[in-house]
Amino acid sequence: MRFSSAIRTTLVGAAVVAALAASTSQLTAATLVGAGPGPANLAAPIVNQPATIESPLREADHPALFARAAATRNAFGFPVGSSRVGLHVQDDIQGAAYDEVTEVNSSGQPMAMTQFNSDGSLLDAVRFDSPALTLLVLSSDSATRTALRALTASGMAPSGQVRTEADQSAGGWDLHWDRAQAGFTVRGDETRVHVWRDGRIQSVARVEHKLAAAPIHPIGRAGALLAIVRQLTAWFGAASSGYAIQTMDLEWVGSNAAFDATRIVAAAQPYKLAWVANVRPSGAASESLQLITLYVDAGNGTVIGGDVAE
Amino acid sequence: MKRARRLLVSVLLATSALGALAQGASAFQGVVWSNSDSFSYRCLGITDTFPQQLYSMARSRMAALGYGPIGGAIGPSFSSSAFLDTVLPSWAVYVHSHGDNYWATSGWPRIDSAFLQDPGPTRCSHYKTDAVRSSAIKTATLGTRYNLVIMSTCRLGSTLSTMPGAFQIEKVKNNTQREFFLGYVNATYDGDMLRFERAFWSYLSRASGPRRTLYRAFTYAASIGGYDAPDAADPFQANWWGNPTYDGRPG
Repeated sequence: MRFSSAIRTTLVGAAVVAALAASTSQLTAATLVGAGPGPANLAAPIVNQPATIESPLREADHPALFARAAATRNAFGFPVGSSRVGLHVQDDIQGAAYDEVTEVNSSGQPMAMTQFNSDGSLLDAVRFDSPALTLLVLSSDSATRTALRALTASGMAPSGQVRTEADQSAGGWDLHWDRAQAGFTVRGDETRVHVWRDGRIQSVARVEHKLAAAPIHPIGRAGALLAIVRQLTAWFGAASSGYAIQTMDLEWVGSNAAFDATRIVAAAQPYKLAWVANVRPSGAASESLQLITLYVDAGNGTVIGGDVAE
Repeated sequence: MKRARRLLVSVLLATSALGALAQGASAFQGVVWSNSDSFSYRCLGITDTFPQQLYSMARSRMAALGYGPIGGAIGPSFSSSAFLDTVLPSWAVYVHSHGDNYWATSGWPRIDSAFLQDPGPTRCSHYKTDAVRSSAIKTATLGTRYNLVIMSTCRLGSTLSTMPGAFQIEKVKNNTQREFFLGYVNATYDGDMLRFERAFWSYLSRASGPRRTLYRAFTYAASIGGYDAPDAADPFQANWWGNPTYDGRPG
């Protein structure tokens, strides 16, 4: 990289010399730093952001955690390291706390990792090596059978229909069993397994949020539609954009700060039953925005969050 | 005489400038850019808070990795010219905006991927005026290598994307150079980018435990699940190219 560094310095330096040679009377600070009309803003302070705090966990002090990690590793066929490193992580970046056990090889390199909630339930298990080079074409059915066997062996047998997606980055299949409660999807909650093309499991995750009580008299589809149209009219009335509601479904969702900056630092709340509307913008908004998703509280009709695809 | 004095002053200033630039280069500048005006109340009728959240996190975590000073901007200062003028001396580049794999100016079937600059305070985005194309970036980077490039946009992590090449990053997963490109394959929710990038930066941020690499941070972030998708044709998928053993530190 030293070579590259030298090239970078030389190139930038050469640009400056060229600028100077071209016009010695137009030597300005802007030329020196190569700044265009928009400042590089190098002096802007780095605002303190959340971080992680780790505490070491020794196997002798936490035998149950390490036994759980070993059982999980074995159920998913992950590699066995020459040693294990345990950590309790207060992860303020992700807004979570968990215990983590990493399988480490003799060179100190992580081979696989498992993370558990404070109640001992699995959050995530992942191996860090690469898939074997293979000409095998693994079908999604075979991948599903492999995943189901491993999940059953680890006591995590999922229910419901599997959803499969071919993975462009790592190859193989992403398998999702979406969680439902009282007949409604819990948005984002799932058991997810990634199976490599060589038939080995790369990762398993379980995402499960607490749910609030469902409203006794949830707003019906017609009432929700009125609330959503009222909201969209208020939003887009002032802009040269239109909208078309594509879908509207009841789901359990987490309120979020998507459209309300005051909620950015708010503590996570149990998921609520909400009408989830996918809205396709048209006009000026469609140049930069492909989809707006709104969460409308099924109890009181207020917008409690959503998402955007830019 | 006057002309000779001016020349002498110029040479002295040039020497001084080169010294400062060499120092700047060895200081491993990073840049973080985020388009916010496209997603403001004025343009959309809503204020999308994700650009600010992603921008703040990326600045902080890029600095924690060892890059500095951290330049770039959120809002109107994120212009095409500002980006292109400051990309050369940078070692790490982060962009959050709308992104896509557009046809090249020569037309189909050539692709020239792009993201949109911030449109500024008086108008809204249009790709014809606001696209910062990979071909323009390629010209501005002059063949220089980059350590870390993150395109926090839709579609620039797709196999069609020409954006990695703008930073001289080959689309392979076994490179041995100190380089790593991260992007998203499909149309992607901002909420998913935030979830993914939080996990990615979180894994890298650990002060203790085994050695961390960008590939492992990526693999961990991809593994945690919980990602939504705008529709069935656009499942959440992040992608990377570069060196699987690189730890992301500058140099």
